[in-house]
Amino acid sequence: MSILPPDLDEAGFAAFLSDLRVAVGEDWVWSSDTDMFPYRDSFSPVWNTPEEIHASSAVAPADVAQVQEVVRIAGRHGVPLHPISTGKNFGYGGPSPNVQGSAVLDLKRLDEVIEVNEDRNYCLVEPGVSYFDLYRHITDRGLKVMIDCPDPGWGSPVGNSLDRGVGYTMPQFRDHFGAHCGMEVVLPNGELMRTGMGAMPGANSWQEYPYGFGPDPSGLFAQGNFGVVTKMGFRLMPQPEYYRTGLIRVPRRRDLVKLVQHVNYLSDSGMVSEVRFASPLSALLGNPEFAATATKLGGPTDAEMDAFASAAGLHSWAIDLQFLGPEAATLAQWEYAKDRVLSDIPGAEALDGDHFALPATEEQLDNVTQPYPSAIRRRGALGVPSLGIWEIVRDDGHVGFFPVLPRDGEAIFELQRVLGDAQRQYPLPPYFSAVTAPLFWHSHTFQMVFAPSIKRDDPEHNAMVHRSMKHMVAVAAEHGWGDYRAAPIYQDDVAATYSFNNGSMRTFLEAMKDAVDPNGIIAPGRGGIWPRRFRS
Amino acid sequence: MTTRREVLKWGAVLPALGTGWHGAFAAAPPNNALGLDAMLVDTRFPGALAVADAPVPVMQFAGDVTRVWFDELDARWRQPGFVLGGITGSDALFVLEVLAQHQGRKVISRVALDLPPVNGVQAVRWIIAPHHPSVTA
Ligand SMILES: Cc1cc2nc3c(=O)[nH]c(=O)nc-3n(C[C@H](O)[C@H](O)[C@H](O)COP(=O)(O)OP(=O)(O)OC[C@H]3O[C@@H](n4cnc5c(N)ncnc54)[C@H](O)[C@@H]3O)c2cc1C
Repeated sequence: MSILPPDLDEAGFAAFLSDLRVAVGEDWVWSSDTDMFPYRDSFSPVWNTPEEIHASSAVAPADVAQVQEVVRIAGRHGVPLHPISTGKNFGYGGPSPNVQGSAVLDLKRLDEVIEVNEDRNYCLVEPGVSYFDLYRHITDRGLKVMIDCPDPGWGSPVGNSLDRGVGYTMPQFRDHFGAHCGMEVVLPNGELMRTGMGAMPGANSWQEYPYGFGPDPSGLFAQGNFGVVTKMGFRLMPQPEYYRTGLIRVPRRRDLVKLVQHVNYLSDSGMVSEVRFASPLSALLGNPEFAATATKLGGPTDAEMDAFASAAGLHSWAIDLQFLGPEAATLAQWEYAKDRVLSDIPGAEALDGDHFALPATEEQLDNVTQPYPSAIRRRGALGVPSLGIWEIVRDDGHVGFFPVLPRDGEAIFELQRVLGDAQRQYPLPPYFSAVTAPLFWHSHTFQMVFAPSIKRDDPEHNAMVHRSMKHMVAVAAEHGWGDYRAAPIYQDDVAATYSFNNGSMRTFLEAMKDAVDPNGIIAPGRGGIWPRRFRS
Repeated sequence: MTTRREVLKWGAVLPALGTGWHGAFAAAPPNNALGLDAMLVDTRFPGALAVADAPVPVMQFAGDVTRVWFDELDARWRQPGFVLGGITGSDALFVLEVLAQHQGRKVISRVALDLPPVNGVQAVRWIIAPHHPSVTA
């Protein structure tokens, strides 16, 4: 199956490929079916259907000058480019583009860790540097900084942060785009630009002051299509001396409201690393009577849930707390957290967890020493990249919808009820029930997860999943809960929900797109931003 | 195709596999021209360790490929050559395949083994070999 770029015939496509080969070398341009297979979205719910979007070709330049040349060639031939860094965006579209026939601009060969500075706590990396590469660079040299990595560790700081990915340490580091500081970008006309202090020749603070002077355009390159990022700086945490954990649990369903307020205080004061919320009542979901109550239309009453909790001798909610820093400071913070919550919520109790000096041993990383069951994945919590998360992948992968909701207990209850009711019509596991806990990934907001699996050999199942994704996005938006990140096949649906004042934000972004990328070369459609050429 | 000093055919490994494994491998087409530099075994599958005597290095892991890839394969796959055979779960193979593709390699043979799945995961026998000119020797 030969895929052509938009508006090109076979001869035009051949001329485009030939120009690319001259620019980057014969071996780094691909267009055959076999070579293009890895550039398909292997988690796609529209796999092998007419809705699946295929790239026509892929090109892997070796350096920034070649990236500029590729962008100019694409401009001359009118071929949309879909830039990827390590291309592992599974669950959000993988390496697949928004426009059929795009050429994937694979930046994996730009793989230099340019600098890690342990005195000023930052790094500067190219797009092809994975979290594993950065971790190896740091540990091989014994540098005293800690990275914040997402799961799985084969992704890249650049690619992950440009999709606003998340990790699992302190708030100011686990929002990966928020932790970036300074970028270098190839613009749609092939010109090179640096943001922040990078725009000032001779400045030595590119990775320390992100803004420079005047408007900061760096936000345009995250989930956007205004350029190809070729370097990015990130703030790093100084290697903490000590790690401590503790569990607090509360008896009643409505105690969640106060619990969340305490967590907000602890987190926004910089006292805790990622906090894991859970409901110990999840253990009862195997009981049909309890499951029916927890998922019932309109949601259960507090009294119904509390009755199950007290009959089973279980608490309603629990938080796994993690502290990073000097040993005495972690102890003081844990003592403070216990006092704060236990003195305010009747019946709350606290359990001391594991604590040890860093870096952790393999046994400690495996989290087999925690005195109570814990959902914390220690490697991620301590900035050690891993592929172990693959154990949660079911069937042939999944697609993800992660609505953003306020950090507020009442909002959690409302979302459980509304999205729980909305998903009942689909034969899927209950992603939203009265025991669903929020995820505290981004620094100052909660999210919940809807991630149905896909099955390559079951198109009916995939079609149902595809329908459910669109439906859930729409229902959530009616309540003000928006997706934070989406695969290309859902980006228009999601972008359409950010519609304040007749979609003035999208109109503004599309006006800018037309101005800086009049041929619509860079990732048309990404983030729901369409250049004039493709807008219809 | 890879040039290599030691050539080991899949056939040379078969006797080490025991009856069940032997049966599974016998069904596979022989890779006469292609030798293996090492083998990777997923110890979640009972009997997999029967290949421990193979006359090539045998690496082991249990489901999660992180350590074996980070400590061994990443460096080997950055150099030209290195043909790897494996008996692993299909989930681990997916992860390895993605990592291998990133480094110019491909799965050139893949056979589902007629063995009881472990936690719903199917055992697979496979070979990953260099493909891109930058890593073919
Ligand atoms: C089991 C599982 C667990 C996961 N857990 C997490 C998690 O904990 N946290 C998380 O964030 N994600 C998670 N993911 C999703 C995903 O795997 C990671 O986010 C991954 O890091 C993204 O791939 P990447 O880093 O290779 O980025 P890429 O795929 O390279 O990039 C992502 C997108 O950003 C844009 N882009 C990339 N590079 C450039 C560039 N240089 N210039 C312009 N635009 C660019 C492109 O649109 C690209 O499609 C998980 C996935 C799975 C399957």
